[in-house]
Amino acid sequence: MGHARHFVRLFGLVAIVVIAFLGARAQVVPKDFGTQGPFRASAIPEAAKREPRHLGSEACSDCHAKINDAWAKGKHHTPQCENCHGPGLLHVKVMSEDSVDAYPDQIKKNPKALRVTSGIQECEWCHLKTFERPSTLKSIKNVERHIIETGGKYTAASKCTDCHNPHTTVVK
Amino acid sequence: MTQPLSDGDLTRRSFLERVATTGAQTFIFGGLFVTTALMRLPQDATPGTTPAKRKKRAPEVIYGFVVDTTKCIGCGSCVRACKAENNVPDGFCRTWVEEYTFYPNGEVVVNSPKGGENGFPDDAPDRNQPAEIGQLPSRGFFVPKLCNHCIDTPCIQVCPVGASYKTPEGVVLVDPQRCVGCGYCVQACPFGSRFLNPETNTADKCTWCYHRITKGLKPACVECCPAEARIFGNVNDPNSEISRILATNRVQVLKSYLGTNPRTRYIGLDSDVI
Repeated sequence: MGHARHFVRLFGLVAIVVIAFLGARAQVVPKDFGTQGPFRASAIPEAAKREPRHLGSEACSDCHAKINDAWAKGKHHTPQCENCHGPGLLHVKVMSEDSVDAYPDQIKKNPKALRVTSGIQECEWCHLKTFERPSTLKSIKNVERHIIETGGKYTAASKCTDCHNPHTTVVK
Repeated sequence: MTQPLSDGDLTRRSFLERVATTGAQTFIFGGLFVTTALMRLPQDATPGTTPAKRKKRAPEVIYGFVVDTTKCIGCGSCVRACKAENNVPDGFCRTWVEEYTFYPNGEVVVNSPKGGENGFPDDAPDRNQPAEIGQLPSRGFFVPKLCNHCIDTPCIQVCPVGASYKTPEGVVLVDPQRCVGCGYCVQACPFGSRFLNPETNTADKCTWCYHRITKGLKPACVECCPAEARIFGNVNDPNSEISRILATNRVQVLKSYLGTNPRTRYIGLDSDVI
């Protein structure tokens, strides 16, 4: 029976390796891995946890009822408030507090925490005439020509909002 | 006592060879068997789960997305909304808009400056210049793109660590805790919907704003689309807007020949769109 010792050693070694592997695996693999499929099940609620940053135009009407009303009744009600003004979450948070000291420098420079509108770039996103844009959309090719043709005086500082109300599209 | 195992002479060398092969086989197959058996064990042995409870029920909510390319005006509101909502780093996009321009000589130009984040420039030649007439584009349109949230996903299949997964609602997500940033999924996606986020060093992609839709809100891009070119909802609810649109429109998907079964469907998709 001199050979039996070889087998005992061999299987003993295999058993040690298997146990070590399983032990290491139990340490490394998360507990909920594989309960719903080959992934970490708690990743789903983690992904759903984050706070939405776009609040929707109804949220704006809480404070800006008058302008919200004019926008909703006007022709320009398809773009939402946050299309031009940017997401509102931080704005609501900052405005509901007395000071902005707790916020980073970026907010201190822009205390309303909204996108700074230029009154021309926001308009050109939709209303600059390009070949691919549907012809049903009101769009202009040249701001300078448009202003001169409509009897205005063009300067380098001219903005669309000088004449057009961006919320209602009514010409001032 | 020393009976040879075969009729040949059992030398020390051949004995060691046999022991090594048998040992390796036992180790590999035995290890595999034990691991698979143990991997199944915790699921079956969880107290309180009866077999009836573990049966897969048809999910109540399956999300779907429809892009109406005929309505898209190429303003880029969706791109900006997505970037602001999801903190997408500069130079990357979870959703983007492509501008297709066709010329009479058969040339097709696809343009997407910064994914359309700052709108599209007026780059067509002047129609009033006689010299340019021959180079005038013949047709053009915009195609918004985003993750197709495929039913048969190539990206989940290739993930070596189980970081890419599909929720019961059919949304394809990345687990940033498990992702090692190897980038296999980025290469596997035939639609270019994934990228490696340089800030987190993990794979990143459109989530259909999972944090919003689970709270009953629409994805940020759908919320901000002024042309109603993006429609999102529960396709399992026959009264939802998306069910009505899917029932009354002719829809198709991108790269259907790849068989990935996208959940994002397109209205008015041109055959030249890739």
